[in-house]
Formats: sequence, C-alpha cells, structure tokens
Amino acid sequence: MTDALGMMAGLRVTDALLDAPLDISMTVDGATVAAGVRPRYLLSDFLREQAGVGGVHVACGHGVCGACTVAVDGTPVRACLMLAVQADGAVVQTVASLSELEGDTAPGKDGLTRLQAAFRQHHALQCGYCTPGLLVSTALFLSEHKAQGRPCPGRAEILDHLNGHLCRCTGYANIIAAIESVLA
Amino acid sequence: MKPAPFHYARASSETEAVRLLAARGTEARLLAGGQSLMPLLTRRIERPQLIIDINRIEGLDRIEILPTQVRMGALVRQEQALRSCIVREYAAGVAQALAWVANPVVRRRGTVIGNLVTNSPGAELPAVALALGAEFEVHYPDRNETVPAAALLGAGRSVPLGAMITHVLWPRRPGPAGFYEIARREGHAPVVSVMVSKCQDDWRVAVSGVCAGGLACPTVARVIARKFPHPPELRSLAGALQADLSGPLYGDVHSSARYRLEVAPVISRRAAQHLAQQAASA
Repeated sequence: MTDALGMMAGLRVTDALLDAPLDISMTVDGATVAAGVRPRYLLSDFLREQAGVGGVHVACGHGVCGACTVAVDGTPVRACLMLAVQADGAVVQTVASLSELEGDTAPGKDGLTRLQAAFRQHHALQCGYCTPGLLVSTALFLSEHKAQGRPCPGRAEILDHLNGHLCRCTGYANIIAAIESVLA
Repeated sequence: MKPAPFHYARASSETEAVRLLAARGTEARLLAGGQSLMPLLTRRIERPQLIIDINRIEGLDRIEILPTQVRMGALVRQEQALRSCIVREYAAGVAQALAWVANPVVRRRGTVIGNLVTNSPGAELPAVALALGAEFEVHYPDRNETVPAAALLGAGRSVPLGAMITHVLWPRRPGPAGFYEIARREGHAPVVSVMVSKCQDDWRVAVSGVCAGGLACPTVARVIARKFPHPPELRSLAGALQADLSGPLYGDVHSSARYRLEVAPVISRRAAQHLAQQAASA
C-alpha cells in the first residue's frame, strides 16, 4: 500500500507505509544500538525489547508511575512518553549508567554507587520495581543541584521530585531518608 | 500498551509542519512534549494517522522579551519557563501556575503551549491565559495571524486542528502572583485551581474547574483587591463567585459542580495568601 503523503514533493516524510519500521541509531549506556523500529513503539519498548536493557521497568505505561525514567541527552525522561524514533541520534542512559549519572566514577568496594548503597542501608526499596527509575531521576536531580551551586535540596524540593515516582512498598519515608543521607 | 499504527514525520520548520497538517486534516496531530498526547495514544483514545514531530524545529524553544510582551515558542518546556528570570519577573502568574503542573520530570518535557491547548479545566494554564489576556500566534497553511487567547480557549471553543500555534504572547505584567489548587493527588489534574495576579492596581483572577472551560472572574478580583493584603472574607467571595458564574457549572466523576463552587472561594483565599507571601518576600 503506497500513500499519497509519501509522494508529496518537498516534504520529508519519514516513511510512506503505515507503521513500517524506520532505521534509527542511538547510544544506550555507552554502546551504539542501530535497529529498525516501528514508529508507534515507545522508547521503553525499544530499550527493553530491541536494546536488551532490563533496567527500564514498565509499570503503568502512560506516564504516571515514573518506573521507566531514563536520561535522554542528560535530561530525565519517561521512556513510555517518548517514541523510540524521537530518540534517533540521542545518548540514552539507564540505571546501568548510574555511576556516570551520579558523577561517581569509583564505586564502593561492593560495586554499589553512593545512591545505591544509601538505598540499601535505609531499606529504601522492597520489591525494587520502581527503583531503577527512581535512582536515575534522583541522580540527575542531585547532580543538577550540585551544578547550580545548591548541593543540598530541602525537604520540599525532595518531595516535589518524588512526586513523579510511585512506590507501593516503602511509603516513601525510607526513600527520603536515603536521599537525605547522601546530601551530608 | 502501544499506540495504534500511524505515520511518523519529523518537521524541520513551522511551514513544513503546517503543510503536513493540511495534507491530513483532522487525522494528524502535532507532537511536542507529548506529556498529554502520548497517554492518549497509548490508551488509544486518540488514533491519528499521522504524527508530526516538531521537536527538532529550531528556534521554537526561545523565551523572548518584547516591548510589551513575553513571547514563548511552541517548544518552551514548562520547567524552562518556570525557572526563567524573564517569566518570573514579567509573567509571575505563569511561573506560579507552572510550579503546580505534574512533577519535575514531566515538566522538563511538557511544553507551555501543550498545556494551554488542552483547553481543559484540569490544566493550570488556560484560565491563566484568559485572565492575563494572552495572545497566540497561529500558523495556517495560507496565512499567519495573532489572536487573543479568548478566541481559542474557554467553554465551547477549541484550537483549530489544521493550524499550528507557534508562539504564545504574555502581556508584560511586573508584580506578584499567587497560585493554589486542590487535586485528588498532588501533581495530578486539579479539581479547582486559582491564580491571582497584581500589577499596581490591576488585579486579575483565574478560576479553573468551576465553570466549563475555565473562567476569569472580574468580581472576585475586585473583592480580593479591596481586602488585600488580608485574605478576602470568605462569604463575600463565595457570593461574588456565584454572581460571576452565570454559565453552566462544571462537574465530573472526581467532584460535583456544587463541591467545586464551595471550594473555589477557599482556594481563592489561599492563592491570595500566596500572593501576599510573594509580595512580602520580593
């Protein structure tokens, strides 16, 4: 089935066939991933199914829970609210790049980053489903504060930040304690 | 969940986006931040045949200061606008309203114009645009025009599907503003939200979620103006609201029209208190 739209002169229509795969390429946790992807596939689908990243968790699938949060060109993004084709040429970092996102190139002797160690110490996770998204966005939240010369966000700012993440296990108190512990 | 199949096109200019829109009419949707559109696609409430991605159009992410207005392009993100010194100084009501939108991650991607064009009583900005007298720059395939927000927003109005809103123009309005809203859960669509803005003796109040499509209430503005800096008296505010709300009231599964009417004066008072705090700390 061809489509008149694809033949219109002067317009750069990416594909003429409905939902036909488009070739894209992006950097995922330091490795180049090139693949054909259907336009309707979400970045979260692409990362899990085609890039083989297990650390992108999909819970609600429509932007409410924050479990699929990844960094796209250094900015936190809900991977379920972005099409994979939109990330063509982007640098995507998931929880596997956490040490770089934290600016912590020398993980502790147990292999955990500062934030991971704090989450463990404060029991800030139980089932762990929300944790990868929470770690990615918290690492970006803290590094941005540091870059702006405000290394210690207050309780209100931490709560505003956590507002974007649902955790059904902890009741959030332990997550707040873990985040506050790495500020000291 | 995955959206229903569609074509994907990446526009490199406003002109190209509008030409693509014109080719598909009502079957095409513009994709900017996607924080409202993507959930509608994945839940298949919207099933467009063509998605036109405008994210790579250059220059649309600028906030400019003009002699009498603040101009924002269609790719200005909500978090960018709320942190902007220009917006905080000359359109404080917009900055205060944006701080209540969703959460920081969604605000990084969601755009100011995206929030406006929902024209929903559950969005923070449409009523603010009506109360402050904002304008839109609209691109059609054959012409460009600048129209007042009131021509596209509010009860019974909508943004034309074959056109692209490329910029929003906020009147320059130095002075404090306050905002407050009540929602079922913080960061989610408000049941009722109120913005109060003061520029010398000119008061503007935006009440959203009470009247279908959002509403700016001149009477409430007068009541609050008389009482400032003390919180306005609740009874007179409720009376003023009722007098202003001559149109059909808005109610849905989240809360009844009666509840919204009752809670609006309370929220208005809190927004006025917030304004007083902002004025005192400035």
